Amino acid sequence: MVENDNADNMQEFMQEQVNKVFELWSSKLKLPTIGPTYAFSKDFSSFANDFVTLGKAMVELKSNMDSYWSLMSAAYTRAMRSTIEQSPMQLATKEDFENYRRAAIEAFEDTFTDLFTSSEYSEIYGKLFGSQLNISRTVQSIVEQNFKMLNLPTRSEVDDILKDIVELKRTVRDMKRSVEARNDQARFAI
Amino acid sequence: MTKQDLQSDQKKKEQENIQPPQSQPEEQIKREPTLAEEILESYRKLEKARDILSTAGNVGVGETPHEVLIEKRAYRLLHYQQMVSKTSRTPILVVYALINKSYVLDLQPDKSWIRSLLSQGFDVYLIDWKAPTAADKYVSFDDYVNCYIDDCVEVVLKKNKVEKLTLHGYCMGGTMSTMYTSLHQDKVRNLAVIAPVIDGHKDFTVIANLAKNMDVDKMLQVMGNLQSEQLYALYLTLKPFKQGINKYLNLLQNVNNEQFVGNFLRLEKWLYDTPPIAGETFRQWISDIYQKNLLVKNELKLGDKIVDLSTIKVPLLNIIADEDHLVSPQCSAPLNDVVSSTDKRLMRFHTGHVGLIASLYSQNNVLPKVGQWLMARSQ
Repeated sequence: MVENDNADNMQEFMQEQVNKVFELWSSKLKLPTIGPTYAFSKDFSSFANDFVTLGKAMVELKSNMDSYWSLMSAAYTRAMRSTIEQSPMQLATKEDFENYRRAAIEAFEDTFTDLFTSSEYSEIYGKLFGSQLNISRTVQSIVEQNFKMLNLPTRSEVDDILKDIVELKRTVRDMKRSVEARNDQARFAI
Repeated sequence: MTKQDLQSDQKKKEQENIQPPQSQPEEQIKREPTLAEEILESYRKLEKARDILSTAGNVGVGETPHEVLIEKRAYRLLHYQQMVSKTSRTPILVVYALINKSYVLDLQPDKSWIRSLLSQGFDVYLIDWKAPTAADKYVSFDDYVNCYIDDCVEVVLKKNKVEKLTLHGYCMGGTMSTMYTSLHQDKVRNLAVIAPVIDGHKDFTVIANLAKNMDVDKMLQVMGNLQSEQLYALYLTLKPFKQGINKYLNLLQNVNNEQFVGNFLRLEKWLYDTPPIAGETFRQWISDIYQKNLLVKNELKLGDKIVDLSTIKVPLLNIIADEDHLVSPQCSAPLNDVVSSTDKRLMRFHTGHVGLIASLYSQNNVLPKVGQWLMARSQ
């Protein structure tokens, strides 16, 4: 229990220190944004911020990955213990091996299903998945900057167009249905 | 020793040489294989299993004769060839889920849900969803329910010259059929659903557990559609050792059993034939149905319409599996409590999610009862 608290404190402390370093560098990278260096300093500062964010996301991912593997490793240990308890003492015959296989499958299945349906796993998996998404999002943002520099449409811009197309399709669908309904009514009236 | 004795002795020896002792062959059969022989046999089985698995994609599925009535970017509407001369008046439109492919309902002749319905005298149509592309990222349940399903319903009604049909959905397709019935009840005569997701908070499966803490808004923004790889990773957490490891060990043991191998391959092909899911649809599925539980609260919005399950008055058949590890029976069963139908039935079977639709158990125990219920309401 005390060991766990110490580990948590250490993790918090490390995270705090890393954040401080990132913040320090972020402030140093802010160049003057006037005069002929305006465009350069604007892009540079944006890139620098993205890389700082990426670094933070990676630290976050590492921390979540550690928690995830710690859960998996604990479950593995439990499953192995349970396998040993349930399996034959000696592995002398073919039947013994078969019984061992059965016991191992049962023990691992039960232990890992319990893990995957636990709230702790759900929470840690959610965080891990979230931090992976944060990394992807930051990388995408860096790539988008490059696209902008080349005057190419970015993914966000294409996304907006896709959204518009889907909205337009829905509007056309609703209009078509309302015209059909009116035509049907007119036919009945005649 | 006389010459005669010698001759008879010689004869005896010859006979012994010609006819070996009778007990010898039995001993040979009973003899346990040596370790070397066992290793060799295991190696042979392993090689054969490797060959079998490498050809898994070629195995025939979905072979019940059908025609493609319409084909759009998002779906194909299939019409199955009738198997009996007289069919029921009300056609059945099967709405498959957006996860994996619809041929699980017609996996092989002796385990085909579709074929069984046809042989019981129903006119069967099926919506076969196509894989969404990156351009379909913002396609939502509104599009699936109010556009694609509605279009298919219109085609079936026109073709059969009837005003109403039976809507028959499986899993996520069951949920979509329920949504559709709530919004377009005038076109539905019966609603028959298999393992639908209704009350997300009563789902105790791994999927529901993972859904609780999934940031699906961010996921939509970053990833767009939910890719097959993510779904495979999810499948690995469902019965990870019985499905993930034991089934391959069973294949090794039964590698010379043609029927076993055939069944195994068809199911294996289906399991790994996973198209992506449209991003916005997946976002709604996780956020609105699992996290916020809007469907059972009658607060789910499709476009500008609210899905109110209490407005459903058509006859309802809800088929659920007690051993379902993908949709808890407790999650599907509340549908019967929230609808206003007076004619409603909950059928529970002691099997799993796939066993409910694609097994001999299903052919012998589930389908006769389902067919009977449908037939009584389809004339």
